[in-house]
Amino acid sequence: MSEETSLLVSAETYEENAVNIGTQQKSTDMGRFIERVREDGLYLLDIPTTDARIRSIAALLNTFDAPSIMVVSARQYGQRPARLFAEAVGAHSAVGRFIPGSLTNPALRSYIEPDVLFVTDPANDQQALREAVATGLPIVGIVDANNHLRNVDVALPANNKGRRSLALIYWLLAREVLKVRGETTDEAWAEANDLADWESTF
Amino acid sequence: MSERATHCTSSGIPLEEAGSTTFPCPGCFKPIGRSSRVRNQGVPYKCPNCGFVGP
Repeated sequence: MSEETSLLVSAETYEENAVNIGTQQKSTDMGRFIERVREDGLYLLDIPTTDARIRSIAALLNTFDAPSIMVVSARQYGQRPARLFAEAVGAHSAVGRFIPGSLTNPALRSYIEPDVLFVTDPANDQQALREAVATGLPIVGIVDANNHLRNVDVALPANNKGRRSLALIYWLLAREVLKVRGETTDEAWAEANDLADWESTF
Repeated sequence: MSERATHCTSSGIPLEEAGSTTFPCPGCFKPIGRSSRVRNQGVPYKCPNCGFVGP
């Protein structure tokens, strides 16, 4: 089986949606996910690794009850895809400002006790990350070339800043989660969910 | 999630302090344990069962 056929979508689709475009800074933690440096200094992430991680994270998320998965995105471009992902798989989403205490203060109306936290950007979702660590939750995160892996338990290396990139990642992740459950197929998913609808409209 | 790790996969210390966690390995679903210290320092772990390297 060639590399092309084993990917969830073609390498061109990943590239068109800028999923592999990193940043001009690279953290030491992310070194093993970097494929090469472009002439303009941008670090490019390894597409097959990103693809493999989407599969394994989808399988991991399926080991938890869907309502006990919490998806957070403070980043604007991640809010719509994160919300749609949560709706598709039956998870809980917290987009926009994360209310401090949502994971630690039972007196709050927004208090919730998830079993796993999925963050769009560990640097932007600091408050959720901190509370998840305090409560002992495993943390899955989309990490870009400049992110550190501090407090991230399972990393999904991908561009977590781009509108189209975040849409494709969440779209694929939702598809794979539902495929593992046997609730959809590639064709049925693509027919029912236009990727463009998952992009943020900001 | 039924099985829980009792020790940190990276450092081997018991998972007793706050901030430690346990979760199924994304590769084989055997439990992985991470102490608060290795989480805070982003120390890599390797699943002893399937070889999955994380984070």
